[in-house]
Amino acid sequence: MRRLELVLSRLVWFIPTLFGLVFLVFFISNVIPTDPARIVAGENATEAQVQALRAEMGLDQPLHVQFGRYIGDLATGDMGRSLYTRRAISDDLMHRLPATLELTFAAMIIAIGLGVPAGVISAVRRNSLTDQVLRVLSVSGLAVASFWLAMELQMFFSTRLGWMPLNGRVSGWGPDEITGFYVIDSILSGDWESLRDTLHHMILPAFTLALPAAATLVRFTRAGVLEVINSNYVTYERAMGFPTPLIIWKYVLRNALISTVTQIGLIFGALFAGAVVVEAVFDWPGLGTYAVQSILQSDTKAILGFSIIVGIVFIGVNLLVDIIHTFIDPRTLK
Amino acid sequence: MNALKRLMSDRAAALGALLIFGLIVVAVLAPWIAPYPEDVTAFHLADRLQPPSAEHLFGTDRMGADVFSRLLFGARITITIAVIAVGVAVAIGVPIGLIAGYYDGFTGGFLMRTSDIFLAVPQIVLAIAIAQTLGPSVENVILALSVTYWPFWARLVYAETKSLKKQTFVEAAQALGASDWRVMVMHILPNTASAIIVRTSIGMGATILTAAALGFLGLGAPPPTPEWGRTISEAREFLPDAWWYAAAPGLAIFLVVMGFNLLGDGLRDILDPKLRKGSR
Amino acid sequence: MTNTKKPGTLNRREMLAIGPLAGLGAFVVPSILRADTGSTGRYVHANNSAYDTLDPHTVGDVARVATRLNFYDGLYRWVDNPPRQIPWLATSHDVSEDRLTWTFHLRDDVMFHDGTPMTANDVVYSVERMLELGLGAGALFLPMIDPGNTVAVDDHTVAFTLKEPSAIFASLVGDIYVVNSALVQENEVDGDWGQAFLIENIAGTGSYTLSRYDPARGFIGERFADHFAGWGDKYFDEIEFRTVLETNTRLQGLMRGDYHGLDGYLAPDQIQRLREADGVTVNEEESMRVFHLAMHNGRAPLNDLNFRLAMVHAFDYDGYINQIMQGTVARNPTIVPGNLWGVPDVPGYTYDLEKAREYLDAYRAEHPGEEIRTLKIGTLAGFSETEQAAALMQNGLAQLGINVEIESSPWPVISTAMQNPETMPDMVPYWKSTYYADPNNWIGELYGSRYAPTRNVSSYHSEYVDERLEQALIETDQAERERLYQEATQRVYEDAAGIWIYNTKWFGPYASSVKNIRFCPVGNGQDMRWAYAE
Repeated sequence: MRRLELVLSRLVWFIPTLFGLVFLVFFISNVIPTDPARIVAGENATEAQVQALRAEMGLDQPLHVQFGRYIGDLATGDMGRSLYTRRAISDDLMHRLPATLELTFAAMIIAIGLGVPAGVISAVRRNSLTDQVLRVLSVSGLAVASFWLAMELQMFFSTRLGWMPLNGRVSGWGPDEITGFYVIDSILSGDWESLRDTLHHMILPAFTLALPAAATLVRFTRAGVLEVINSNYVTYERAMGFPTPLIIWKYVLRNALISTVTQIGLIFGALFAGAVVVEAVFDWPGLGTYAVQSILQSDTKAILGFSIIVGIVFIGVNLLVDIIHTFIDPRTLK
Repeated sequence: MNALKRLMSDRAAALGALLIFGLIVVAVLAPWIAPYPEDVTAFHLADRLQPPSAEHLFGTDRMGADVFSRLLFGARITITIAVIAVGVAVAIGVPIGLIAGYYDGFTGGFLMRTSDIFLAVPQIVLAIAIAQTLGPSVENVILALSVTYWPFWARLVYAETKSLKKQTFVEAAQALGASDWRVMVMHILPNTASAIIVRTSIGMGATILTAAALGFLGLGAPPPTPEWGRTISEAREFLPDAWWYAAAPGLAIFLVVMGFNLLGDGLRDILDPKLRKGSR
Repeated sequence: MTNTKKPGTLNRREMLAIGPLAGLGAFVVPSILRADTGSTGRYVHANNSAYDTLDPHTVGDVARVATRLNFYDGLYRWVDNPPRQIPWLATSHDVSEDRLTWTFHLRDDVMFHDGTPMTANDVVYSVERMLELGLGAGALFLPMIDPGNTVAVDDHTVAFTLKEPSAIFASLVGDIYVVNSALVQENEVDGDWGQAFLIENIAGTGSYTLSRYDPARGFIGERFADHFAGWGDKYFDEIEFRTVLETNTRLQGLMRGDYHGLDGYLAPDQIQRLREADGVTVNEEESMRVFHLAMHNGRAPLNDLNFRLAMVHAFDYDGYINQIMQGTVARNPTIVPGNLWGVPDVPGYTYDLEKAREYLDAYRAEHPGEEIRTLKIGTLAGFSETEQAAALMQNGLAQLGINVEIESSPWPVISTAMQNPETMPDMVPYWKSTYYADPNNWIGELYGSRYAPTRNVSSYHSEYVDERLEQALIETDQAERERLYQEATQRVYEDAAGIWIYNTKWFGPYASSVKNIRFCPVGNGQDMRWAYAE
């Protein structure tokens, strides 16, 4: 009952938060000094054509009317059209979302795969050389600019050594699109060459993206594990003569997992945001590349749509994590 | 004094403090220690893209300017952006958090929900949207970062204030007839200071990284500003041959952010015993 | 009396290409039969911007020209260098005596990809569509012809009635890309002229048909064997144009063999690297793309001739061309490309700070007590050559004691600002590309009052120049037009209305196996029907 209440109260906030976000980004993006109608009309257009377009696009209306219209359209899933291509922005975003999610998930797996064991080892071998090295690495992972790391890795592994592909999601055209997630699609269609190629392309961008998240996880896991190790019941079991590895498996990892899940919302957000820059370096055809392109072209509505999609994903994931958390750690319900 | 001594006895924190001290020294003294201070605006087209040598420690760039000298001047921009942006974010966030925590009814709810909206998208996304709208310049980067980062301090101070409000010393002050403002500023704020300081140190690192990313995406300072992120994006065209061109500013960013993070960790250990538990 | 024209003469290659027209159809040997001919596989091109739409009428930029050239055909087609037009969908045209009605004779053997024969009605529909949408090349025609003034005389004859005589109309008809009117009309939604449909689909007669398209990645085209122009001995059966935004990645990909060709305007450092790479050939061609700093002639102090003369002597042309561009481009003294006609014989201004100071002193003498304000140069974000030019100008002016502020913005932002005299920065470095090979493309559009303020962004107005430019637009005698353009350009030069720097060369980097890239400054060699691999 309490769980349902909590979930409902979270859900109730979802809509106003989203509305607030749209409001915020809409007004931010309308401070812009460009004239969208002129951009659409092209450099050869006369003043009269621009005026006509302005009326057609509703740009001659006061801002609050434009906002009302935008909200109305948004409710039906319509985010307007790109200034340049006249393509539906929602279509473009939905088309690119799987690419970004796939990269984000891959990075998440790498981050957890590297970060959690490293954190456990670091805690168990506290103050050893291994611990010192891992801690230095984790501090470094948080300090490096991801776009720079991406460039340097690309230069070294792709250009110099030729071990990794340079850019993109896949060499050719990829597997037949079913879900838009290439790993899933290539498995579903039994296209093993595409699967190999997709994974190969994913290594560098996913690793770059994962590094700061892995570093965060090392720190949290280490702290979480240490807390457990120092706790009374572990001391007790140790005194009872249980072998240390068993204790670690039985108690420490379970607790480490809880602290990791708590972090997943945060980490997902960080990865999703980091993808903007990492995608731009690796020409990954996802939301980030789309956003950067829209920025360069000052395609206001596209940037607006991008922010909203990211907001929805972001708020949604946090909501989900809160809910999952109530199952793993029932204390939150008290 | 005691705290400082303890801070310096922690090797990692001392290293962090040293790195930041180095950054400040370099930023202040840039015109005197740079071998070619005029290279911020002057060019030597005949010496374009020279590899590192005795004359040019980190080589030269696409205009034949000394990468090292420009790097030193870039430190000024980095520190300016980080200090002002974080300063403004603190100046907005702390009072909001304080008020919201103290008047934890409708006002508090409203303020915190507002900050939730800002936190509903990753900071870099919001900063990109703002910086893009306002046009590329250092001032606009600062503005974009301040506007996007204040909720972190608001959240932190809000939580602290809420718990401090119920402490006896606060209730005592209220009972003695102190005004709300007095209680907030004289009694609650000083007790949130250590949390604010820790968050600020780590926040500086994050802000520098975001600012560099904006510069990299072309939303930062216009050329020929020697901003680090923008230098890296400039250099990209010349990789892998002119490797020094991108390597130098990348390492500089790394060291400075590392400095703030290490210092932040050290400060947390000393100032915030709650968090310290178990981390060592 | 009407006079019939054929655009240019044919060489042997074109006679093969447009064989049926010349009655040489039988000579086009079915290439499959010969072992060393026929398909030479697949060509992959890495492009610097996204193919976010396939509609031939809504975009007109050079960056996305590949979809228009390979999926669609125009009435005529620009080829080779120096650029000339060859008959394409139309074989010839007549101009009425009042020089208002232009009648084009179409081929009768052109098929759309779905097998429908192309007729004059398709041309009419396409022109009306362009005028209605007013985007891309459509905007170029709007000032010349009103909707409803294009008629199908019969199935294979189409007549345009212009608003006023025009000497350049024929140069533009290559941009009338003909769409399959039946197919597009079938897919119209709420009178959108099939815009939603043509974004993702094609309805053309072009050399290639669309086989895959993803706006995030690019497109693949398959050879249209029944194309009316026939095919040469060798060709690519499949062409893929992929979007790779990062220049360095495009370069690396070409060197690794992932791509077979790139767009051809690269920085000299990159060209140098490609030249040294194995298996890469850099094709070098004279082009027509003039790089200049547009100056705001309407705003003080730049509205003063002495001040502008100081400006044109404060730019280090040599340093820019020989160091930054490493001598890969040619100095261009005026706005009109030196390799076109209508160019006056004048020497380029030189970097001479002494002279600049003299002019500046003269200016100060005329304006005693005036403090020279900070000048603003707007640059194109992401185009490092514009940033470097601005930095160089800033450097030169600093030595004259004039402060310069540089503001970098994305092209859409800056181009909007430029089109309004209020918001146009004092100077903007940018390129003027070839949309049609006529001096009007440069001197007319950039300095004629008729094009202010949208394309004449300099606020430059001179009666002397306008008279000549207007006359040249309706004059049909070539020698006379040449004289008019020379005079106009000379005057603009003497008025130091802009800082003209260089005319670009095109350095098309291709895998060494790729042969017969047919470069033309209009279209940049991306018309893939001529090329093949060896």
